[in-house]
Order: sequence, then C-alpha cells, then structure tokens
Amino acid sequence: MSDARTEAIRAERIVKSFGNVVALNGVSMQVAHGETLGVLGDNGAGKSTLLKILTGYHQPDSGQVYVDGKPVRLGSVDEARAFGIECVYQDLALVNGLSIYHNMFLKRELLWGGPLKLLDHKSMRRRAAEALADIGVSVPSIDLEVGQLSGGQRQAIAVARAVSSNARILLLDEPLAAMGAREARLIIDLIDRLKARGDIAVVMIAHNYAQTLEICDRVILVQHGEITFESRTAETSAEELLDIVRREYRAARAG
Amino acid sequence: MTDAAAPNGLARRAYAFLLKPEASVIVVSVALVVYFEMVNRNFLTGANVRTLSQFVAAPVIIACGEIMLLICREIDLSAGQVFALAPFLMENVNDWGVPEPLAIVAALAVCASIGLLIGLITIGLRVPSFITTLGMNFLITGLTLTISRGYPANTSGGPVLTGIMGEWAYSEIIWAVVIVAGMHIVLRHTRWGLHTVAIGGNLIASAEAGIAINRIKIGNFVLTSTLAGLCGLLEAFRVGSIDPLAGGNNMMFLGVASGVIGGTAIAGGAGTIIGGLVGGIMLAILQDGFTLQGINAFAFDIAIGLAILLAMIANTHLARLRGGGPR
Repeated sequence: MSDARTEAIRAERIVKSFGNVVALNGVSMQVAHGETLGVLGDNGAGKSTLLKILTGYHQPDSGQVYVDGKPVRLGSVDEARAFGIECVYQDLALVNGLSIYHNMFLKRELLWGGPLKLLDHKSMRRRAAEALADIGVSVPSIDLEVGQLSGGQRQAIAVARAVSSNARILLLDEPLAAMGAREARLIIDLIDRLKARGDIAVVMIAHNYAQTLEICDRVILVQHGEITFESRTAETSAEELLDIVRREYRAARAG
Repeated sequence: MTDAAAPNGLARRAYAFLLKPEASVIVVSVALVVYFEMVNRNFLTGANVRTLSQFVAAPVIIACGEIMLLICREIDLSAGQVFALAPFLMENVNDWGVPEPLAIVAALAVCASIGLLIGLITIGLRVPSFITTLGMNFLITGLTLTISRGYPANTSGGPVLTGIMGEWAYSEIIWAVVIVAGMHIVLRHTRWGLHTVAIGGNLIASAEAGIAINRIKIGNFVLTSTLAGLCGLLEAFRVGSIDPLAGGNNMMFLGVASGVIGGTAIAGGAGTIIGGLVGGIMLAILQDGFTLQGINAFAFDIAIGLAILLAMIANTHLARLRGGGPR
C-alpha cells in the first residue's frame, strides 16, 4: 500500500558523530504522505539524533535528506520548517500561562490595525477553534490557559498547532510517554485522523511496542546507531521485536 | 458563554472578577479610602487627591518597566538610580548650550543606552540581571554623585516646558496614565507583549517557536531604564530641584512592589500593567493615609511592610482558588 503513496521524506546513509561517539552509522529511512512510521529503540540508540537531523537541529556528517524526492539541506529548524517539517516535543511545546489560541498562533500571530500591528485576538480565537474542530480535538474553551489542560489535551493542542501551520511531515517525540490509557487514546485517535487525511507523513519516536504497532503502518528499530530491523506493522509483532532486543541484550551481557 | 453560567451569569462574572489579583487590591484600596476618610475628613479633599496622585505617578511609571522585565524573568534593580541620574544628565547637556527639550531627549537617550548595556551584559555575558543591575545600582549612584559633586541643583527651562514635564499639579499623573495605557496595549495587544509573556512562561517553547528571546529581553531593559529616566525628569521638574539621592532603591522597590501586589508573578510568565497601576494606587493610599494620620515614621514602615505581605498572601491563595496559578 505504501508503494502507491508519494514519498514525503527520505534519509540516505546518515552518519553523525559527537566526538568519538558515533550516534548514527549510515541510517536510511523514508516515509510517505499518509503513512505513519514508528521509530523504536533503546535510550542512546540514536533515535533522538535521527529526529534532530530531520528537524534541522543537527546536521549530518555525511548522508543526504530528500523532501518530496529532492535533495535538501536542513541547516536549521527554520529551514526544515520551510519544507513543512514540524516537530512536537513532549511537554516542551506550549506556554502554560497563555491561552490555547495564543499558543496555537505563537510566532504566527494574526494582526490588525495596519502599521499598528495589534494582535487580532478575535480572528485567532475563531481560527484556532476551527483548526481544533478540523482534526477533532475538543476543549472546554479556547480561552483556557494551557496549564489548566491535561497532558493528553496539551499534546493534542501541540499537534494541532503543527498541523495548522501546514506541517506535511510531522515528527512526534514520544507522544505517549507518561500518559494514562485514556489520555493516550486521545492522541492515538488524533494520529489516526491525521493519517486518514492522507497528506501528512508522521514519524513518531516511541518506547511502547504495543502502542506503536497499533498506531503505525511501519516500524524501524534503531540499535547502536543502525537500523537493525524494519517491517510493516501488519507483518510483525511485539514478541518479534522484543526477541530482537532480548538477543542484543544477551549478546551485550555476554560480550 | 456556557449554559451553566447563564442563570446566574452576573454573580458568576462578579465571582470571576473577584478572583483576579487586581480585584482584591481594588477592594482593599476602597476599604482603605473609606477608613482614612472616616479617620480624617481631609483625605478626599482636592488638595490631598493631588498629593495622592503624585504619590501614585512615579512608582507606577517605574512599575510599567519592571512588570515587563518580571514577566520575562528579569529584573532591574538600578531603575531608581537611573531615575536620579537622568535630571543631572539633562542639566549638564543643557549647560553646554543645548536647548532644554533636546537636553531631555539626550538624557533619555543615555538612559536608554544604560538599559542597552544592562541587556547586553545580562544576555551576552550571561550574568543574571539581578547581579548586573545590582552592580549598575552602585555604579550609577557613584556616577550621579560624581557628576553632581554631591550637590542638589535647580531645574531650568521655560514655564510651559516645566509645566508639561511635571510642575503643573496633575501633569505627572497624566504622564503616568498615558504610559500605563500605552504599556497595557503593548503587553496585551502586541506581539512584543505576548512574546514577553511566552518567554517568561516557557523559555524552551519560545525558542522552539522562533521567538527572538534576546531581542525582547534587551528591549525590555531599554524600556525600563528609559521609563525610569523619564520618571526622574518628571519628579525633578515637579519638585523644582534635582537631588543626587532622589529615587534610589526605595523608588525601585515601590515600582516592583506595585507590580507584584497587582499580580505580576515574580517567577515570570504572568502579570498585567493595570495590576501595577492598582498596586501603586494602594501603596500610595497607605503612604498618604498614614502620613495624614500623623502616624510615626517607624510604625509607618511596619504598616507598609504588612500591607505588602498581606496583599501577596491574598493573591497567592486567590490564584490557587482560580484553579490555575503557579504550579
């Protein structure tokens, strides 16, 4: 199925070292529009480094990133954003003391009054409500301070903000970490709805194998800077993934 | 808005208003006015209202800058010293033969560059602003004493200029109200204000969103120093003389206290200019009321101290009632 979709982002043989530590040793991956890719792996395996290269935060030592099939240089977060790449970080994304609609429009505020450049609270409020309704996120009031929302609601707002700023490649850093079952459901349903739109590619870093297999179309397993396993989720299981990790763990203990 | 609110919407709105930090201060202020008027029939006379307005103006102008800084998690401890320096700068420039209005502009420009320097040291060299401005506090005091040789001076300038700049009974409070209105718009209705709140609320998220954090912080330092300088000029023209020891720490802390009493979070991320105005009015009522009452100077400071503590305790717990507040 993923063959029929158009490729959104592709990374080819990415190598990245920090001093003597090789964080990524020739990693290649790709995601299509309307597809969700799960990136699994231990802490320190290189997941976050891969994510940060895709967001333009780090630059690879060698290797090439392609967006829509064209080679691109992601020199900064802003440059990546210009290609429609948005990342949602766990719990870092929003300002608790500001209202939902101010958060949704942070740094992209709507203005009125011509040269006076005053904040157009009214339009931002309306457009934010529309954007949330669009992807099926419900909140008690658009004026609520984000700090008064639950973790799941906050995450949903952060995702909605990325989507409403025309993200076409959405990177999610552990979107379900430290979340109860009901909260996680909120985000899983949201990702499902985004997938159904068909125009957004989602890459999510995760720890929970069962949840990742439920949400994603495809998973890759990153171990010590390399991709050691890749599969359509329909063709693998949490047991198979655990087996691979267990083998690695035993080898490490024996070694 | 919601159905539940409809039947008793007014009561609910009144309740919501009372939970705002400004509201409790307004209630306390009104109670204080009633009390002082009962104790002393002269409290609400024209002459005293004029005095009151002069008590209000200076701390509130200082507060407008400090509130912006506190919201983005900075502070300026040297505002009171810039306040004292500005009139001497003006007089010195004036002595070189520069016309008074230009001398005022020159003095404010120097104050602005002091703010810029504070900002550059704080942001560029990563010195906490508490320390930067503590250093500037002493440094500027010394500078003012050096320039003035420790002697007060008289203000010069024609009657119209002096009148506008503070000598006319209500000119200083008008300046304060205009500045409050302007800064309220800046804080609530411009990107500058919104980004100031965002920086204080979540620095990482603000950086991630692409907000120019350094520019905004430095800008707020420049703003605070400039307002402090302007305030010093206004006070000098009002009094008609320039005192090297005018303003000082007392003035700066009155400004900070006005903001904090009015609900500005000392840990950043929240605050209103209107709150600063209301806080300044409450402090002024206390100062002026006790003065009229002839309370002795020692007891006076005890009363002010208690008032600040009580207002802060009330605000903290009302914030908790409100549901939000600091984590």
